[in-house]
Amino acid sequence: MTMNFYQKTLLKGFIVSNLLALFMVGLFKYTKLQDNGTLVFSIFVIVPLIMGIVSSWFWIKVDLKSKPIIGYSILNGLLAILLSYVFLREGVICLLIVSPLIFAFIITGAFLGRTMFRKNNQRLNVSVFSLLFVVFVTDSLSEHNYVNLVADEIVINATPEQIWKHVVAFDKIEKKDNYWLFQIGMPSPSQTTVTGHYKGAGRKCIFSNGYIFDEKIVTYDVNKDLTFDIIGQPLDPEIMGHIDILRGQFLLKDNGNGTTTLIGNSWYRLHVFPIWYYDIWAKSITRNVHLRVMEHIKVLSEKG
Amino acid sequence: MKKDSSFSFVVRHLSFLKHIPLFPQVFDSLLKIRIFVTKPYLLDWFDEIEAEVLSWDEADISLHRYGGLQFNYKGKEIGHLHSNGLLDVLYHKDTKLRLLKEGRIEPHHVFEKSGWISFYIFTNGDKDYAKELLKMAYDRRVAGNLLICSY
Repeated sequence: MTMNFYQKTLLKGFIVSNLLALFMVGLFKYTKLQDNGTLVFSIFVIVPLIMGIVSSWFWIKVDLKSKPIIGYSILNGLLAILLSYVFLREGVICLLIVSPLIFAFIITGAFLGRTMFRKNNQRLNVSVFSLLFVVFVTDSLSEHNYVNLVADEIVINATPEQIWKHVVAFDKIEKKDNYWLFQIGMPSPSQTTVTGHYKGAGRKCIFSNGYIFDEKIVTYDVNKDLTFDIIGQPLDPEIMGHIDILRGQFLLKDNGNGTTTLIGNSWYRLHVFPIWYYDIWAKSITRNVHLRVMEHIKVLSEKG
Repeated sequence: MKKDSSFSFVVRHLSFLKHIPLFPQVFDSLLKIRIFVTKPYLLDWFDEIEAEVLSWDEADISLHRYGGLQFNYKGKEIGHLHSNGLLDVLYHKDTKLRLLKEGRIEPHHVFEKSGWISFYIFTNGDKDYAKELLKMAYDRRVAGNLLICSY
């Protein structure tokens, strides 16, 4: 079966844009421009934008209308995501999180490209590509460091003394996950064990898939403050190189009326940018980890 | 006129984001994805409107700085179409008042007191009216241009 001009042109758009993206991401990763495998915003913004522009450079020859441009751009994004899964060994949930960003910028690039190439102004085309290239290089060479704290609190109908032992360690959480990312396979916190009840003791936070976060207790202020540093986190492709959980903390505040406010704090460092996008996800996931654990502590404490 | 509440929310409360390079264009792409899923026929109508405008002398299109497709005559804007079907067109205030009396258009969704008008495309009839609105604005620009040239 031979391909007609339309099919060949479409195919060239898919192949060249994805090869270019692979080349750019590969170059970035293997030249190790960033420490700790940080993925800069250009990877998720400039690369898909260029993919959209490059594909439209081919597709303009067959005068694609808006509907096929959007449809083929989504297909192009899916292809890029599949290649990331194969070559970059990214996790499925990770790729699910990144996909809205990829689709939005590929489609933006495709329509930007269509308008650019219709004008047939070489100076404009060269200027746009040069600008995107400069942004990519500058961003790749810039230092990226982002640490944030997520804090949550709940009120428990029990005294700090009744709550404390469940804060330090607790048995398996049997309650069904109600956060959608946990329901589709992201590991959720399941159990916590300790090697001792003192500062310096080891603590393990075990997740639903068996992954373990190794922790060390750095503050052990009975009935008030349990703070622990994360000293080892699992080599899970969903989090590896994307987020480091640095420290966790439970604070107990006696409300003086038989109830206690339990505050959960987590500090984390993100290695994926742009922050305005990924921090929304990081906060949401961390918050739901907190709430699952804190609600379990509440149930155990209120049982007496 | 039924309004797009999520679009109105972004325009009214998050308008500062329009100053971030590419944000308006990316937001417009999200509107395109939504239309692609929910009302794909609108995209065909947008193409039809675009083809109609491009068939007029010295008319061209570009990306609107606040997202959407911009229609120009000799490089000057006559109107723009957001990807949720909201058409904004610029008239002289007298023309705007006359069109408002006809009852199909509304004052511009942001600049209510200006010569700009807004019109949502929902039906096939709306699409034809959108072309008429753009043609009126185009003809006014052509006439204005001729007047200037004759001096």
